[in-house]
Amino acid sequence: MPKFKKKRVGISLDMTPLVDIAFLLLTFFMLTTKFKPQEEAQIILPESHSKYKIPESDVMTITFGPDGKLYLGLDSQQLRAQLFGDQNKLKPSIPISLEELTALAQQARGANPKLRAVIRGDKDSMYGPAEDVMNALQKASIARFELVTELDRKD
Amino acid sequence: MGAVDIGGGRQHGKKGKRKKMRRIGVRLDMTPLVDIAFLLLTFFMLTTTFSLPQVMEIVLPPSETKSEVTESSLMLLRLMENGTIFWNMGTESPRALEPNTLRAFLKERINTNPNMITLVKVDRKSKYSTMVKIIDELHLANITRYSLAPLLEPDKKIVEEAAGKG
Repeated sequence: MPKFKKKRVGISLDMTPLVDIAFLLLTFFMLTTKFKPQEEAQIILPESHSKYKIPESDVMTITFGPDGKLYLGLDSQQLRAQLFGDQNKLKPSIPISLEELTALAQQARGANPKLRAVIRGDKDSMYGPAEDVMNALQKASIARFELVTELDRKD
Repeated sequence: MGAVDIGGGRQHGKKGKRKKMRRIGVRLDMTPLVDIAFLLLTFFMLTTTFSLPQVMEIVLPPSETKSEVTESSLMLLRLMENGTIFWNMGTESPRALEPNTLRAFLKERINTNPNMITLVKVDRKSKYSTMVKIIDELHLANITRYSLAPLLEPDKKIVEEAAGKG
């Protein structure tokens, strides 16, 4: 058997370390990226010029779609289990009725005083549901809301 | 690593012999491709992590407190069902306002009276996006003292009367 000799012409750069690091970074980002939770209702956000970003934690989201249906979402799984029961703790938000909102908001605020109310309303919705939500939250003595909007790039 | 060997090198030995690994042939350098691919990947990873939705803050005065406001510094904005906006100071009769002149109008108002308090009355059947737009314009004009109130039947009548006259 004749021995085959590998012939290497020119410089050969070993890329192994580079690719190792790249994959390390890749796995890091893949593990740390939080995926957007699935929404119950498709919401088209209204536009504004606000530059503030949504707080990362201690958020209570009240969503209303163009049909006026309400959803309450909490970012902490512990709080969700406490308020919605163990069977619902994995869902990011659950449908609720307007009558339940005040009591639930009060309970949530009681469990976590730092909780902030975030309202996500659909652009094509009427003002009615927004007014109801704000009234219900005011009854739960929450007077500070954040309305989720999209950046207005027109002017 | 990072390079691809494509077959078609020198033939070694006779046909009947065991095939040898063909090492020499066309060598495709994949280094730049891999570099760019991973660069883009990291870039997108970083930007997607930080894309948080933006929020507009509203702070409403608590519903129990009653604040006394002098009529001359109270501006009323009424948003009607069809999206038209009417404004008036104190007890004046309402006048229609062009939506695209809103920003200039609000700036002029707050400059003439910095103590102005704005009350926005919004019809339940008007669009949510219009209300958001008005609040946004108030923020842009640096009007921080405002409140929201529902638009009631008497308001509608007042506006209808004023619109009929004008």
